[in-house]
Amino acid sequence: MTKITRRAFAASSAAAAAVAGFGFKPALAQAYPARPVTVIVPWGAGGGTDATARIVAALLEKDLGQPFNVVNRTGGSGVVGHSAIATAQPDGYTIGMLTVEISMMHWQGLTELAPKSYTPLALMNEDPPGIQVPSTSPYKTVKELADAIKAAPVGKFKASGTGQGGIWHLALVGWMQALGLPANQVAWVPSNGAAPAMQDLAAGGLDLTTCSVPEARAIIEAGKARSLAIMAPKRNPSFPDVPTLKESMGIDYATGAWRGIAGPKGLPADVATKLTASLKKVYDSKEFKDFMSNRGFGTVWGDATEFAGFMDKGDAQMGEAMKAAGLSKA
Amino acid sequence: MRLPDQVTGLFLVGLGAAAAYGGWLLPPVPGQPVGPNIFPLVIGSGLALCGIAITFGIGHTFEEEEEIIPLEGGQVRPPTGKLYGLRALLPPALLLFYVVAADRLGFIITAGLIVYATSTALGARWKLSLPLAVLAPMGIHLIFSKLLRVPLPAGLLSMPW
Amino acid sequence: MLKTLIEAFALISTWEVIIAMLAASVYGLVIGSLPGLSATMATALLVPVTFYLSPIAAIATIVAASTMAIFSGDIPGALLRIPGTPASAAYADEAYAMTRKGEAELALGAGVWFSAIGGIAGTLSLMILAPPLAEIALSFSTFEYFWLAFLGLMCATLVARSSPVKAIAGMFIGLLVSCVGIENPGGVPRFTFGITDLFGGIEPIPALVGVFAVAQVMRAMLTPEPPPIPKRKFGSIMAGQWKLTKKYHWQMTRGNIIGVIIGVLPGAGADMAAWVSYAMSKRFSKEPEKFGTGHVEGLVEAGASNNASIASGWVPSLLFGIPGDTIAAIAIGVLYMKGLNPGPTLFTEKASSMYAIYLMFIIANIIMIPLGIIMIRLASHVLRAPRSSIMPVIMLCCAVGSFAIGNNMFGVVTVAAFGIIGYVMEANGYPVAAMVLGIVMGTMIEQSFVTSLIKSDGSVLPFFERPISAILAAMAIGALIWPVLVWLWQRLKAASPATSPR
Repeated sequence: MTKITRRAFAASSAAAAAVAGFGFKPALAQAYPARPVTVIVPWGAGGGTDATARIVAALLEKDLGQPFNVVNRTGGSGVVGHSAIATAQPDGYTIGMLTVEISMMHWQGLTELAPKSYTPLALMNEDPPGIQVPSTSPYKTVKELADAIKAAPVGKFKASGTGQGGIWHLALVGWMQALGLPANQVAWVPSNGAAPAMQDLAAGGLDLTTCSVPEARAIIEAGKARSLAIMAPKRNPSFPDVPTLKESMGIDYATGAWRGIAGPKGLPADVATKLTASLKKVYDSKEFKDFMSNRGFGTVWGDATEFAGFMDKGDAQMGEAMKAAGLSKA
Repeated sequence: MRLPDQVTGLFLVGLGAAAAYGGWLLPPVPGQPVGPNIFPLVIGSGLALCGIAITFGIGHTFEEEEEIIPLEGGQVRPPTGKLYGLRALLPPALLLFYVVAADRLGFIITAGLIVYATSTALGARWKLSLPLAVLAPMGIHLIFSKLLRVPLPAGLLSMPW
Repeated sequence: MLKTLIEAFALISTWEVIIAMLAASVYGLVIGSLPGLSATMATALLVPVTFYLSPIAAIATIVAASTMAIFSGDIPGALLRIPGTPASAAYADEAYAMTRKGEAELALGAGVWFSAIGGIAGTLSLMILAPPLAEIALSFSTFEYFWLAFLGLMCATLVARSSPVKAIAGMFIGLLVSCVGIENPGGVPRFTFGITDLFGGIEPIPALVGVFAVAQVMRAMLTPEPPPIPKRKFGSIMAGQWKLTKKYHWQMTRGNIIGVIIGVLPGAGADMAAWVSYAMSKRFSKEPEKFGTGHVEGLVEAGASNNASIASGWVPSLLFGIPGDTIAAIAIGVLYMKGLNPGPTLFTEKASSMYAIYLMFIIANIIMIPLGIIMIRLASHVLRAPRSSIMPVIMLCCAVGSFAIGNNMFGVVTVAAFGIIGYVMEANGYPVAAMVLGIVMGTMIEQSFVTSLIKSDGSVLPFFERPISAILAAMAIGALIWPVLVWLWQRLKAASPATSPR
């Protein structure tokens, strides 16, 4: 019901704007968006980022009345798509979904692109890393695991979850640092993503994984692994039994893989404000919340300024972890 | 393009050596006993060994007498001219033309030119190649751009759908 | 059980599901049969469409389209020697040789018939054996995967009809191609030459399209129009298949079993199943000398295995959310999007939806037979159309298909480059199919080898210690030295003239 009134309101205000602007060139007078908007996703169809972008785009379309077309621009391990967002015309008709990689790749010298290459619009999601062990593992709590890691020689424990220098690797490095241990106390076994790492964990090839809990969910439900903790300020409502690091160890370390919407640098202020306002409506909608919680994805809101600050903070944190792991080229 | 085995064999030796050297130059990864360098080293050495074997004709006896792909047609010998062999480069050249021109000219025009050029090069008269150059791009555009929402560049000539 | 089955039937017998399934089938058949367009691309382009469908209809489109597209990838392989998937690259030469003999319909008929049987066998195994199969999948660690990939690579020499040395060289070139990118154990740019687009590496599909489709157009530029292929009458397509089923029932069963086993192992998938089965068929055949000359035996086994692995590949996807291949990865995304989260609860709490998926697999494989026959009849007209009208369309499909998969022009550049590479390799007797196998298996073999060494702190012992690993190692080493033993044996026999067979 509210939706209808909102739409009706949007339509009538658009009509009012059209009447008010009578006499000017119609294209200029028309309120943004006057034509379809392209939403660039730097990752392939069917993945988590793609799914999040598609639900956001569908809800934006509903709110703003113009098609929001999702385009997957893959290649270059995310660099190609991120650069397509940064180099698009800053007219509001090309926006995109940024992922945590944008605050990581420039430290490795892979690209010049950094969070400051964009006009941030809204932060929509953050997934904290979890700490998973095989169900046959003797460690029942994260404290026991941490003590065993501390007592073991360097590199005795093997962990995985993503490639070398990937987000979950840096999460592990950050956790080790928070424990006061060297970055390589636990050896990192690079894998082609979270799914193969979880499989290898179940096959008995690894001691722990640090991927996010939703990524580990299927294997956990199959009784092949369990999650000991998440590196987040508070528990995930979808997994209420998994404690945070702070609760179980008193360590105040939190990080995560996030997704947000941004445009190219220099987006007109009115367009940016309008998009952020609409994204807020999307974020608050039941459809978005239901979709995200069904997938176990965490929802975090940040408006344009908050998102910018969030990215800056994360960027510095990533840089530190990269340097500790000896991966930074900067 | 049929080169003597010595030439291709030596090329593989060079390629393998370059790959192994390139792999060897890669920095080791902190905290890993083996890194990204080992695989190119193994592959490069293997490739170089194969190259040596090919250069010396090992395994040549296994090769079939006939061409691996039977020459299309068989009896008719293709005309041999100096530049005739370069015709083979037309398809990749047209694809690169697509990469360069599609954004500016748009899909329909670029694709039309590619179809016309390929068709003519294969000996079609204009009665066949011209309608093909108009209809094939439109058909492909309809399927991909309209039904599957692939963002094909519009360029100078956009389609009514 | 019966109640769930009835519920499942109710779920799929809505107009939306039926129409979605039929439309997706036709779509999969058409896209798969166009040279230059692949099954992966067909599935990826469906994702936006599934967004607007109900959960069951969404899965139905993915199931139907991927099943059809994998089969119809055989069609351009047989008719034009342009395989549509890395899987059909294993036997494209064989099928094309049959076409040259005027037996295109028989070759493609075998493709559709044994694919359908394989698909149904795979689905039945998914229904009945999912838990034990899942145990197999979860017992494979990187040590086992290394040997598996090693065995897969060894098939390169068996399928090619050229010098084995050149086949191995071709495979090494493919492995070298797979080195490109930053998705390596170090996460550092390797052989990217400062080109951002190369960071993600070179995908098997554009390389496959280049070395087969573009290279074929390049060859056409230099050769005169071939004489029309002799058309032979041989009645109904299916009658021929029944005879083949009786003659090659053992090969078919073996193909099904191999396909199911390889399919449940994530990362191996249909591509490897087809290669291994074709190679096994040749190795154990009574008439191996006929392979490569247009002999249907290998097609039977590889076709049966290929589609069986697609169905069983859903086991790790549905149970653990671990994708078997790129298509399964997309399918998992759609499952999540529709609230059918993979995991064991899917089998208990949403059992009727699970059974609906099983049923859709079986239905897709059954309707594939009539639709496939229609498609074969239609497609075989290509053989009588002038080359100058077919090749330009292939060129367009290559350009659009390689662009559409990532909406990235670099895909088109890759295809063009691999056209040249494929053309030069073919002309000099290096089998390009071996290179494709190298590209497909490259990441898996490197990843499993390096991560295994990291886990064992540099020791090679675990490669032989773990039980399954030891068995696979024995198989690999046995397969490696077997030809040498045979060769020595023949030398010895030839040395003593009394026992000489000549």
